[in-house]
Amino acid sequence: MKTQSTAIGLLLNWRLHLIVIVVSALSELIGIQSIPVANAKLLFLPLFYAFILCLFVNPNITKFSGKIINKKNASIAAPIIVIGILPFIAKFGTLIGPALPKIAESGSAMVLQELGNLGTMLIAMPIAVLVFKMGREAIGATYSIAREPNIALVSDRYGLKSHEGIGVMGVYVMGTMFGTIYFAMLAGFLATTGWFDPRALAMACGVGSGSMTAACSGTLATAFPSMKNEILAFAGASNLLTNATGLYVAIFIALPFSEWFYKKLSGEKKATSAMTKGAN
Amino acid sequence: MNTNIENTIEAKVEEVYLSFKESLVVLAVVSIVSLASNWAGTGINPIKALPAMLIIYGMILVGLLLTKYVRIGFPAVAWVSLISVLLTLPISPVSAPILAELKNLNFLSIVTPVLAYAAMAITKMEVDLFKRSGFKIAAISILVFTGTYVGSALVANALL
Repeated sequence: MKTQSTAIGLLLNWRLHLIVIVVSALSELIGIQSIPVANAKLLFLPLFYAFILCLFVNPNITKFSGKIINKKNASIAAPIIVIGILPFIAKFGTLIGPALPKIAESGSAMVLQELGNLGTMLIAMPIAVLVFKMGREAIGATYSIAREPNIALVSDRYGLKSHEGIGVMGVYVMGTMFGTIYFAMLAGFLATTGWFDPRALAMACGVGSGSMTAACSGTLATAFPSMKNEILAFAGASNLLTNATGLYVAIFIALPFSEWFYKKLSGEKKATSAMTKGAN
Repeated sequence: MNTNIENTIEAKVEEVYLSFKESLVVLAVVSIVSLASNWAGTGINPIKALPAMLIIYGMILVGLLLTKYVRIGFPAVAWVSLISVLLTLPISPVSAPILAELKNLNFLSIVTPVLAYAAMAITKMEVDLFKRSGFKIAAISILVFTGTYVGSALVANALL
């Protein structure tokens, strides 16, 4: 009984929510800004400012913020995010619904781009294994984009204390800390280069978590205001598909492939070093 | 990696789930915070945006109920998304009134508070992990994010 009320009390702690309200309102008032870079533009959205401002008020990061809010009250923000993203997801759905006939026209692109994230491994795995000399951490770190379902899978297969577990947690933490902002900036930058169809960029926004999708497609919508609804609908639909199928792609394709690829690479690494020795 | 860090990693992953009742309470608070953020961003006052928020709250309530009782491995985000997509399909009779109300909520303004919570949620463990093997993990993470994003965009672009 008592623990229950403490949990609710912690969740309702006014300091945390007040900080969030003040920071959000301030960020919204600053509004969307942009900086030109060569032929492209870097877009800055209120959600970036909110993230960065709150880093300064996080008692785990800056010392003085301990006076504003203690660590216990700040840490309860973690489960709040899980719920906090749902209003956005609901709003997102209302953009997908009306556009569904249009999305269906792009059927194969929408379904197959889910497999595009296997590209991750082709780039990241060789560098992790050959350049950074990582061990089996590389499998956990590079087999997926390391969101919650991917952690669950690794934890199920190898355990979180395994090397694979450490790898997936490392990328998960980075994603939680900076992934949202990185995705938004990458999308915003690629948008202004003109290399991609905005709808393709929008679909790619859906590969990660809900907040990654949100920030990423928000930036795209700002870059292409005339296509705003279409962009949000495509990104939302892609994220829905990722949620529905991502785990199966991970189980049946990504993880087995990364096991195979890792063995291949680490084997080749030994072969290469043996060859260099021989040459010397 | 020492055991201490591994323990906190497990603790963090386990700790994320709220009870159904707690979820609803948190959702109500987050809704109020979102209304404030929406007000600052769009100038639409919370009273005018309230019906939109209530519709959203209703959709999420149903989504959470489905997550709780229909255990087919669908996460709450997928249920909520599905419900709101179905309700706003062109053939849905409630599509027009829902869309008319939801115009009062700006999609970016309701994400801003989530990012604020996200920054507040960063723990000692995460800061430590970052400090210790920050460079390698950061470099690999950036490759992972870039590879995933560009990979998906390339496939989509080729097939559109």
